[in-house]
Amino acid sequence: MTRYVVGRLLTAIPLVWGIATLMFLLVHLAPGDPALQYITPGMDREVVEQVRANFGLDQPLHVQYGRWLGAMVTGDFGYSYSMARPVADVVANAFPNTLLLSGSALLLAFVIGIVLGTIQAVRQYSVTDSLLSVILLFFYSMPGFWLALMLVLSMSLFANAIWELPIWFPASGMTSADYDLMSPAGRVLDRIWHLVLPTSALSLALAAGIARFMRGSMLEVVRQDFIRTARAKGLPERVVIFRHALRNALTPIITLVGLYIPFLFSGTVFIETVFAWPGMGRTIVDAIGTRDYPLIMAASFFFAITVVVANLIADTLYAVVDPRVRYD
Amino acid sequence: MTRRNPGPADSGHGRAGWGRRVVGSILPGLPQILMGRWGTGSTALSVWLLLLVIVVARTDRLLAAVGGAWDERLALLTTVFGLMAAWGWCWRDLGASTDSRPSGIDQWSLAVVAFSRNRTAVAGLVLIVLIYMVALLAPLITPHDPLHMYDLTTSRLQGLSTTHPLGTDHLARDVLSRILYGARISLTIGFVAVGISATIGTLVGAVAGFLGGAIDNAIMRFVDVVISFPRLVLLIAIVALFESSITLVILVLGLTLWPSTARIVRGEVLVLREREFIQAAHALGYSRRRIIVRHLVPNALPPVIVAATLGIGNTIVLEAGLSFLSLGVQPPTPSWGTMVADGRDELLSAWWLSTFPGLAIVFTVLAFNLVGDGLRDALDPRLRS
Amino acid sequence: MKKLMLTVATLAMVACGGSDVTRTVSNDPFCQAVIPAVDAWLAEARASHPAPADDRYGGMAVVAAVGEIADGMNSAVARDYGATQHQQFINLMTLIDYDDVAFPRPYLAESWEVADDQTSITFRLRQDVFWHDGEQTDAHDVAFTYAAVTNPETGYANAAFWDHFVHGEAGVEVLDDFTVRIAMRPHADPMDPFRVLAILPEHLLGDVPLSELGRHPFGTQCPVGNGPFVFYSHEPQSRWVFEANPAFPEGLGGRPYLDRYVYRVIPEQTTLLTELLTGGVDVYIQPTPDQARMIIDDPDLDLVNFVGRDYVYVGWNARLPKLADARVRQAITMAIDRESVVEALLGGYGRVANSGVPPFHFAFDPDLQSPVSFDRERARALLTEAGWVDRDGDGVRENASGERLSITLKYNPNEIRQTIAELMQAQASEIGVEIIPTMTEWNTLVGQISSEARDFEGVVMGWQAEFRLDDMDLFHSERSDRMFAFSGTNNPEIDRLLEAISSTRGRDASRALWAEYQQEIMVEQPYTYLYFRDRLAGVNSRLSGVVMDARGEWVNARQWYIEPDVR
Repeated sequence: MTRYVVGRLLTAIPLVWGIATLMFLLVHLAPGDPALQYITPGMDREVVEQVRANFGLDQPLHVQYGRWLGAMVTGDFGYSYSMARPVADVVANAFPNTLLLSGSALLLAFVIGIVLGTIQAVRQYSVTDSLLSVILLFFYSMPGFWLALMLVLSMSLFANAIWELPIWFPASGMTSADYDLMSPAGRVLDRIWHLVLPTSALSLALAAGIARFMRGSMLEVVRQDFIRTARAKGLPERVVIFRHALRNALTPIITLVGLYIPFLFSGTVFIETVFAWPGMGRTIVDAIGTRDYPLIMAASFFFAITVVVANLIADTLYAVVDPRVRYD
Repeated sequence: MTRRNPGPADSGHGRAGWGRRVVGSILPGLPQILMGRWGTGSTALSVWLLLLVIVVARTDRLLAAVGGAWDERLALLTTVFGLMAAWGWCWRDLGASTDSRPSGIDQWSLAVVAFSRNRTAVAGLVLIVLIYMVALLAPLITPHDPLHMYDLTTSRLQGLSTTHPLGTDHLARDVLSRILYGARISLTIGFVAVGISATIGTLVGAVAGFLGGAIDNAIMRFVDVVISFPRLVLLIAIVALFESSITLVILVLGLTLWPSTARIVRGEVLVLREREFIQAAHALGYSRRRIIVRHLVPNALPPVIVAATLGIGNTIVLEAGLSFLSLGVQPPTPSWGTMVADGRDELLSAWWLSTFPGLAIVFTVLAFNLVGDGLRDALDPRLRS
Repeated sequence: MKKLMLTVATLAMVACGGSDVTRTVSNDPFCQAVIPAVDAWLAEARASHPAPADDRYGGMAVVAAVGEIADGMNSAVARDYGATQHQQFINLMTLIDYDDVAFPRPYLAESWEVADDQTSITFRLRQDVFWHDGEQTDAHDVAFTYAAVTNPETGYANAAFWDHFVHGEAGVEVLDDFTVRIAMRPHADPMDPFRVLAILPEHLLGDVPLSELGRHPFGTQCPVGNGPFVFYSHEPQSRWVFEANPAFPEGLGGRPYLDRYVYRVIPEQTTLLTELLTGGVDVYIQPTPDQARMIIDDPDLDLVNFVGRDYVYVGWNARLPKLADARVRQAITMAIDRESVVEALLGGYGRVANSGVPPFHFAFDPDLQSPVSFDRERARALLTEAGWVDRDGDGVRENASGERLSITLKYNPNEIRQTIAELMQAQASEIGVEIIPTMTEWNTLVGQISSEARDFEGVVMGWQAEFRLDDMDLFHSERSDRMFAFSGTNNPEIDRLLEAISSTRGRDASRALWAEYQQEIMVEQPYTYLYFRDRLAGVNSRLSGVVMDARGEWVNARQWYIEPDVR
């Protein structure tokens, strides 16, 4: 078991290096000069050169590459000139926000997916099954940003201003403007209140995939002999499903965690833009727009690392949970 | 859910009488409906009627299309072909005997039967056919020119009306026409990108799985690196950093998708490699290339097909996402993603700008997902009930 | 049990997760030292300067816009509009500001004197202005700031401001603790740069090497100002929070009414409008013209619009043979119905521009007659006269050697610019000119048009005019290698007028020159000027006292107030 984990960690290192190099190549091969972001009317070429030098953009490519690789070790990822603070700071600020959003969305997606998938399996081929299938597929087929915009429209604007419902949600942000003046309980509630819409937008599409998988998994498990035995023993159906079938059906779901992480992080790009969530998705899009090399590379790198780590965790969990699995 | 299987006693499956043939000549599909096979019958009938309506209502455009641009000629061909196909199918079907069965019990025929029993999957297929037809017939059926701007002072951002059933956009262009034309872009991008990725991915995966060893390792390491990247981030990075164009978007979409196909194929090949028929092929002395291409690949195809179909839907959504970030297709070409992006600032005042293209995306992707799911169920023996 | 653990885990994650917490304090040692000093001073100032007994004092206002204040409060690197506005009116102070007719009036400087020979300005500073950590603002701060921004090593973006000033430490002299003299060469409107340049604290930044000044954490992590609002916190990409400065000089109005001012960054315009409509924000900067209609219709909201300083134009590369003939450029301009463009694109919130002189400028003449107003017949005639005729009947004109009049029009990914490009394509085709809109990513585009190769034919561009206008860098033939001189104009009349304007002092004297200059520009048509855009803001009516004009949206932020019953 430990050998397996260590082994996987070791293979992850060249993977990480490959990702880092790929990103570096990509960013530096592209046309466009980051110093030009600083153009204002009447600016002299010398000033632009000065700016370029100030931000260390005039170093030869291999020097920049060396510094980039060194950053992995030292943690000094350079300075983000578009955000006017060290890159490490930017990522340290943005990453937990994205983690919060993705984590909540993943949790919600799994809960919804597992519940709905089980319902579908139990009522296979019924109207409920087909209806749920189509509805879930509908959400799965939606462009994420469109869903986000529709949610803002309906649950925020319409709910508040037009239908005047007692419950409505804020259209953007992580916390209210007077957050620091709230009581601790108020703060927790405020955060949850702000989390509802973005998390829903992110998780509904995921839930569809998970539900489908859960349905298939449950169907497979239900067909097995031990379930037939349980039923033959006279156990009530609810016990059969929840105590026996569900537990076994859940095992393969764990592999989905690793599969869905990249999807999750991609999805945050749009959700964060629409809901003004200050996370990694927005950071990377803005960074690419301003050609902020240090930030682009660090942010993409973090994305990729998260995926690798998530896969590692998922594989480890799977190995823990399923004794039949042994990777050599 | 069981379907009533007409037996020999029903006149439906005997050699059709002349009366039915006459009816079938004028309104293909109607005899099938009357015989109880209303699914296939209504599809044929609606295709026939739709195309007839086009011929009658757009005779002028049809005639102009003869000497017109390539897409107009394509539309003309589609119309003619569609009419012939509907008519010909009905004729053949009426002449078929009762005892016709699927030609074999091989994997593919069984899959076809399983698929056709899946109502939602068939509905998805019909939807796809419809969308493709709309895309091909676009030059004939659009009420307005998608690029034409009406009077800017009076016709901008108009809501739904009889002249503009889905409203007008910022530049006083008809939204419905743009959606119809946008189908072509979105479908093309989806199809070509997935085509590229499926081809490359299958070959690479088959080679890697078959050859094994160091080559397999090297290829799979590279695949791992690319897969670890959230595809969207990679897409944004490439398209934003290099200048955006349709070709680039298609290429990048295709080139970021092939690794996952390769992984699937490799997995399948690893399993297939140990099967007897491959061992037999080895024993017979077939060249490695022949084994890969003639034996491994065709048998590894089912998951690839499923993945490809689902991939088209996914790709369309990704293209929309790229356009949302202003990295997609260039104007004035109408693409659904660009249209949603263009309308997002006016969501509160001109909701139709983003909603209808958004719905178009949803339904198209839904159709591909339904078909993909149906294929997965049909091709995977374990999931059949 | 499992469920309980799950709930607790969720709550813990929610409560602790994210850095958008109570108050982000940077890890940087500079900030670690400075923030407590500011906190201490603020506490003491609050104790010694209690709010007057007027119930308008209090409350919090939230202003939201699409862009983040990327440069923060560091005036040495100020580029974006939001940054300069917050430096001028919120956190820092400038030497002077302008009144509503664009005449300078005292701010940090109590008074000033321009020498008779126009070679220097002497500023006398107020003596009751303190930095938010307790140090007094004095002439050394001004000297330090001036020397820094005029030194090329700093990379100050608006370097053109200082063209006629003596650079570096040689250009500034500290006469006593509150008097400073700045050296310059005689030129028009010398006071304008001091309206924009916010003074930086020498005691905090004086030792920083100039090349690193732009990267200092002072800018976005812990600015220390001396203005009406004290920096409290900045969550990157999310919001800035400022609190009222109780010790702001009484002579300038005393502490602001608001207790707290928040600037929020929301990148999605639909979300912005939703926040405004639901009361989540009080001010929405720059809604789209179509959104403006919804704001007007809402009884709780007011739409503020004022003449802005931005204009949009199409720049032509006159170095290219097909665009070298002024008649071609004139014809294209005449083919565009600019009035309807303004009506359509801006919803009427703007006006047609015929030159770079903005409507609030003293030299602006609303009755200026343009020789290139909308007239397609004349446009066609001009083209034919210039030798461009459609010889092969394909709808596009060719010249005698068969070259087609086809022009690529580049623009950056921006909906309005895209619309303009498409409009021009459609309208130019009416006179036989083929325009091909080409979307080019911003950085690449700027690189192309400013490079020596001037790799473009036509480009849709925006420009922000300052109160002090100077088109020298754009159109003077001797400056044609400057970054923004991409039109390649070479016209001796224009050169002469530009030089004359630059050296003429006094508004009345230069008015005639400006009129002549505008006439010449309209004939030369290096640009097809399109329009001046009004700036819009959606304001919740509970926020009172808001005045916005060409000086900016935040010009009187310290006088905004909220009645106690709507807080």
